[in-house]
Order: sequence, then structure tokens, then C-alpha cells
Amino acid sequence: MAQAAPVIQPDLELAYEMPEQATLLTDAWRRIRRNRLALVGMVIIGILFVTAAISIVWTPYPTWLQAVGPTYQPPSLGHPLGLDQAGRDILSRIMGGALITVEVGVGSAMIVSLIGIPLGLLAGFYRGTVDTIISFFINIWYGIPDLLVALILVFVLSDALHLIPRGVFVIIIAFSLTRWMDVARLVRGQTLALREREFVEAARMSGARDFALLFRHIFPNALGPIIVQATFAIPAAVLFEAFLSFLGLGLPSPTPSWGAMAADGYHGMDFAPHIVLAPTIALSITLMAFNWVGDGLRDAFDPRMRR
Amino acid sequence: MRGTLLYVGQRLILIAITTILVSSIVFLLLHQIPGNAFLNETRQSPQTLAAELHHYGLDLPLHTQYFNWVQGVLHGDLGESLVNRGVKITPLLIRETSVSATVGFFALLVTIGLGLILGVIAALRQNTWVDYVASSAAVVGYSIPSFVLAIFGLLIFGHYLYDWTQGTIYYSPGFTSPLTQVEVPALALGLPYASYVARLTRASMLETIRTDYVRTAWAKGLKARVVVIRHALRNALIPVVTILGPLTTGIITGSVVIENIFGIPGLGKEFITSILARDYNIVIGVFTFYAALVGLANLTVDVIYPVLDPRIRY
Repeated sequence: MAQAAPVIQPDLELAYEMPEQATLLTDAWRRIRRNRLALVGMVIIGILFVTAAISIVWTPYPTWLQAVGPTYQPPSLGHPLGLDQAGRDILSRIMGGALITVEVGVGSAMIVSLIGIPLGLLAGFYRGTVDTIISFFINIWYGIPDLLVALILVFVLSDALHLIPRGVFVIIIAFSLTRWMDVARLVRGQTLALREREFVEAARMSGARDFALLFRHIFPNALGPIIVQATFAIPAAVLFEAFLSFLGLGLPSPTPSWGAMAADGYHGMDFAPHIVLAPTIALSITLMAFNWVGDGLRDAFDPRMRR
Repeated sequence: MRGTLLYVGQRLILIAITTILVSSIVFLLLHQIPGNAFLNETRQSPQTLAAELHHYGLDLPLHTQYFNWVQGVLHGDLGESLVNRGVKITPLLIRETSVSATVGFFALLVTIGLGLILGVIAALRQNTWVDYVASSAAVVGYSIPSFVLAIFGLLIFGHYLYDWTQGTIYYSPGFTSPLTQVEVPALALGLPYASYVARLTRASMLETIRTDYVRTAWAKGLKARVVVIRHALRNALIPVVTILGPLTTGIITGSVVIENIFGIPGLGKEFITSILARDYNIVIGVFTFYAALVGLANLTVDVIYPVLDPRIRY
């Protein structure tokens, strides 16, 4: 197979009948609607966002308020999810945790994209030295346990820079600094392929500057895969936050992080399992929903992937 | 063969460079943190403190410390614990690596074994209830983080089934101990990735069993076992092997939290304990070990690759 014979590729664009006036998003929506798992995922994410929004203005009890009843009290009518080891209302804390989860997930996805997209565009578009440098970093970071670097970064950022208290922001920054490579690598690949296409050539011929080429012509055409990648960054970030907080290295104590709540309940697991079950189930369902939607989006944005 | 050796040699050098580079970043980062392991609630006279700092060379300028550290790493010496004075880090970490490796090995066994079996069965029985059960289990299992599985495992096996297990879910070293002590941690660590492997195997098996050469193999009258294992599975494995690298990284990082939940005295437990105790020398050391392990794991995967796919040569 030294010299592969040229294979005639069937023109997929022609074979696929375009519906009238379908933009990227409406087209994807039309396909994702048929994906039952993705729809269930979207409903769950919807509930998560609404819960998070409600928890800003109202929770049954303040999330930090201790001793609203007997400690370790199992679920009852007054407290549907029971009370934890400090007598805090678990339902309120789960609601507050939803807000933290949304903040960490969405914030990380945004910052990862903000770092990854420009770097990927630059590497793919200018190639040469720029690409070599950026790809070098991407490859190095792929060979290391990034989660542990992020863990150390959280520690260093919160201790060394006294400006930032250890909060959601530090976790988002640490996560993003170690995870932008996924997006950058994807965008770089897309850009490398797109910059050779005729429409980019045409735009260049009509005098478009590099900036316009990148952001008006190449970026919109790479948007589908970028959205998918960003969606998958959300559960990764949520899991990272839970992982840190569970180990006691994440958000400080009164913050109702699901990971920290699981760690609280972990010690009284044999006689009060409800404390540990509530946050871990909430976390698992959330991660599941984001993964389902991510899978659905991937299929929706790339019709060729479908069987 | 010579090409492969050359390739492995090159990669080993690259791994060494990457490891030192990344650990250097961690070294420099951790030395930016104010305070040190000796600043704690017990009062120390300035002389004792100065003596302690001098003992660890922490009174030297940063670049000298860094130079000494790199020199130590190159000689396989990661220094001395800040908290437990006199404890050499390298032998400690080597011992802990063997503990972590045992759990990691079984987790990998769960991941690959269970993942492959479920994936292959689901593909062969496509669109039957077997496929639906396996596929839904995979779709759900992939999203449940391993620390949640660990908690559930501890709750079920350590508490609800106490009469049966006698609570034997702690770790005791070596392969001689009864399996039950590694099983639950390994399951918790391996199951999420097993689901992922199962999904991938199913998809790639479905593609392979529809190819012409598999049809030929059936037509030749070969036994089902031979067709499935030797013809279909071998080629279906190729995409699965590509994710083995990231997967091994995932298992290594995942072991940090699993070891802390089950109290397994491995690298991961040391990592977190040392971070909380501000024993930065050990933190840097564990990190160096992890970076090297991940590099070696990826290299192993790349070496296995041409065995499965002869089109790839180095």
C-alpha cells in the first residue's frame, strides 16, 4: 500500500438533501430531537439550571445553617432528604450545590473555549513556527496526569495569590489551564482542513484580512465540533470540582459542594447513608445528563457519524 | 525490530525530558507558596528552624535548590521527607508504587476484560435484549464517577453485606492475600472505563462483522469462535487500543481518590496526605513518579499497537 489508488469519494453534501433554510443550529436541533437520551439529558440539565437559579433567591433553609433539627436525621416530611452530621438541611444544600455545579461547569467550558479556540485557530491557520510551539505544548500536556497538575494549581493559586480566596474561580482557572488542549487540538485540526477549502480561498481572493478569514469564515464552520467539545468539558469540570472537594482540597466547608457533602457523609455512612447518597446520586445524574447531551450533539452536528 | 528499539529509546529519552520538565513546573510552583512544613502550631526557636531549613537546603537561593533537585532526580534521588525527617522519598515511593500498581492492574483487567466481553456480546447480539441491557449499562456506567462507585461499593460490601464479606475491603500487600481486598477498589476504579471500552468495542465490532473478509471467514465454514476472536475482534480492537493511553492516565489519576476512600497505602494516598501536611518534597516526588508512569503507560500502548495492526511500523 505504498501508492494508494485514488478513491472517488461520494459527495456527501449532494447525497444529503438539505432542508430549506437550515442553519447549523436548527439543523442540529432537528436531528437531536429524535435522540431520546439527549432529550432526557436536556430536561435534566434544564431542571439543574432552574434549581440553581432558584437557590440564589430561595432555599428551604440557609445552606450553612446548622442544627435545624437532630443531626443525622433520616429523610422526613419536614426535611425530604434528611439532615447531615451538623444538622443542616440536605435538600437546601443539594440546591445550593446545583448552583456551584452550574458555575463550575459553565465557567470552565467558557474559559477552556476562550483559551483553546484562539490558540487552535492560530496554530491551524499560520502553521509553521506558531503551530510547532502550540502543538509542542499540546503534546506535552497530553502525556501528563493533567488532573493532578490542576490539583496542585488549585493549591498554589489559592495559597500563593492571596487576592483569590479558594473559591469556584480558582477551580475554574486551574481546570481550564490544564484542559484547554482538547479544544485547541480540535480547532487546530478543523482549521487545517478548512483553510484549504474553496470558500476560504474565495474570501481571501476578495481581499479579506486574516482576522476576517479566521473569525467570519473558518470559525463559524468549525462551530459544531467546538460546541460538542465544550459540552464535554462541563461534566469533566464538574467531576474535577467534586473530586477536589471530596478530598478536602476544594471549596471550603460551609460551601454546599456535592463533593464536599459526600465527604461529610462518608464518615457516617454505616448508620446514615442518606447523607452520602443524596449528593452522589445528584452528581451522577448530572454527569449522565451532560454526557448524553454531548453524545447527542456529536451525532447531530456530524451526520456522517450516524449509522 | 531495530526500528522498534530505536523508537522505544527515543521515546524513553522524551519521557525523561517531559517528566523533568513537568516536575520542574510543579517544583517551581510549590516553592512559590508562602510558609513551609516547619511552620506549625508547635513553637520553635529560630535556631531550630534555621537548622531545619539548612538541613533541607531550603535556605539556599531558589536556583541553587532547583539545580540540586534536578541533579538528585537524575541520580534517582528525590530527597527527604519534610515531615518525617530522615525518610528517603525514592524507596518509599517505589514501595507505594507496587501497591498502587496491584490495584491499577486489577482495575485495568476489569476495564479491558469486562469492557471487551460486554462490547463483543452486545455487537454479536445487536438489537436484542442482551444488547439493550449491555448498552444501557454502558451509557449509565460511563457517567458514574469512580469515587461514587467506591462509596457505593463500600456501603454495599462493607456494610450491607458485612456478614458475608466480614468487612474485608482493606488492602493488604502482595498477590497472596485473598482477592476480595483488591476487588472492590479495582471494580470502582475500572467500571466507568469498562463502560467506555464496551461502547467503543461494540461500535467497532459492528463495523468489522459486516466486512467482506469476515463474511468470507464465515463462508469458509470456520468455527464461530475463530471468526469472532481471530478475524473480527482483532481488527475491532484497533480503535480500542488507541484510547488505552488516556484510559491508563485516567486510572492512574482516578486511583488518587480511590486509594483515599479505601485507605490503600499507595501513591495516591501519599499524594493527598503530603499535600495536606505540606510535605512538598513528597508531593513533587509523587508527581514525578506519576508523570513517568503516565509516559511509560503511553509508550507501552504504542508498542502494543503494531502487534495488532501490522500496517503500523516504527
